[in-house]
Amino acid sequence: MSWRWFHQWGSPRWFYERAGRWQLVCGWLALILLVVGSLWGLGFAPVDYQQGNSYRIIYLHVPVAFLAQAMYAAMAVCAVVLFVWKMKLADVAMQAIAVTGLAFTVLSLVSGAVWGKPTWGTYWVWDARLTSMLILSFLYLGLIGLRAAIQDPDQAGKACGILVLVGVVNLPIIKYSVEWWNTLHQPASLKLTEKPTMPASMWVPLLVNILGYYIAAAYLVLGSMRAIVIGRERRASWVKELVGRA
Amino acid sequence: MSIEKRMLARELKLAAARPGDIFKPMWFLMLVISMVPLALSPDSALLADIGSAMIWVATLLALLLNTEHLFQSDFSDGVLEQWLFLDRPLAWLVGLKLIVHWLFHVVPLICITPIAGLMLSVPTDVLIALLMTLVVATPALTCFSGLGAALTLGSSRSGILGVLVMMPLFVPVVILAAGVLIRATDGSEILPLIALLGAFSLVAATLVPIAVSAAIRLNIGGSN
Repeated sequence: MSWRWFHQWGSPRWFYERAGRWQLVCGWLALILLVVGSLWGLGFAPVDYQQGNSYRIIYLHVPVAFLAQAMYAAMAVCAVVLFVWKMKLADVAMQAIAVTGLAFTVLSLVSGAVWGKPTWGTYWVWDARLTSMLILSFLYLGLIGLRAAIQDPDQAGKACGILVLVGVVNLPIIKYSVEWWNTLHQPASLKLTEKPTMPASMWVPLLVNILGYYIAAAYLVLGSMRAIVIGRERRASWVKELVGRA
Repeated sequence: MSIEKRMLARELKLAAARPGDIFKPMWFLMLVISMVPLALSPDSALLADIGSAMIWVATLLALLLNTEHLFQSDFSDGVLEQWLFLDRPLAWLVGLKLIVHWLFHVVPLICITPIAGLMLSVPTDVLIALLMTLVVATPALTCFSGLGAALTLGSSRSGILGVLVMMPLFVPVVILAAGVLIRATDGSEILPLIALLGAFSLVAATLVPIAVSAAIRLNIGGSN
């Protein structure tokens, strides 16, 4: 059996070229899904009988909040890959995801605050889900800060990997303790295991947007991974060739 | 003499040579506590309500203050490098170091919290609950801040980064301790929550030294 499919991931050049193509596919796919989902959700989905039109922010808020949490899990997977297979690309992915993840976390906090003002009458309440999202943003910030403080990229990657693994073990504990501490948020509107509490005309565009944002996140992560690869390999001949051609 | 005994003797000598390291966080704790009535109000009923929580937060900050550079001197004079050559697992030595640090530097902090409690007129039963939470929760906090210290060992410009990185992980401990304090004020059962806090500390004390030793190995490997 050939191990080529596995070993080629060790080549920055191979990844850089392939990722460019994947990025193009992801970009168009995300654009189509987001345009369809957002127009449908914002323009054509029915008005909520309780919250009026302000509920429509879920078409941004819910996908972004999902992603904020999913990206931390993705980083943990990258950390395991880094420690088990010593794959440098996993570290590149970790670095790219940390920044994108922080952006999504902040976006979900801000969009939640914007929704909270007309619905709850205040931008911020110390509710369980808001609080754990805030803690999550501090965890992301910590990772970015730790990487910035250590000069050697390999060493910084391993330190971040340790921090991610410790964080991912703690994250459920943090989540449940915060929930125990205080719950006044409305129950989650979309759960994987139960039938949604919304009619199909509302949740189908939401699903389209969730998919769209996931693919958009892949587009963003691939883009920053490519930039990081170029930066780290700046002394390699293929990068010099590439820059020379441009 | 076994390695463990020699390590303990060395830590004792170091602690005796630098009593300031033990004294300064206690000093800091008392200063923070004296700021509370100045910033808020000298009304003893109000102080009694928030006093225990304030003492908890102040102790946490003081603990962070003295754990921030836990491995720094051992790293710069090469002791950590020598640990790698001992016939003991690094995580075991790290665990010992953390226990000794807790005994010499954190327990004194806990010992002066009753004085702070009296100053903020915290009721006696709440004060006892506060002491219990501090005793069972600080081992977990020491472990986590030790990990922060180990992760930032190699970088000279890290500042308080280790503290910033680790503080979000303190959330469950702080919440559980706050739960104990609220229950103690109500007069309801506190032992189940104390047990949970103790469990958290035990798990942290078994698993975190492994992460700390990985972080130390990384920093020593990277420096040469």
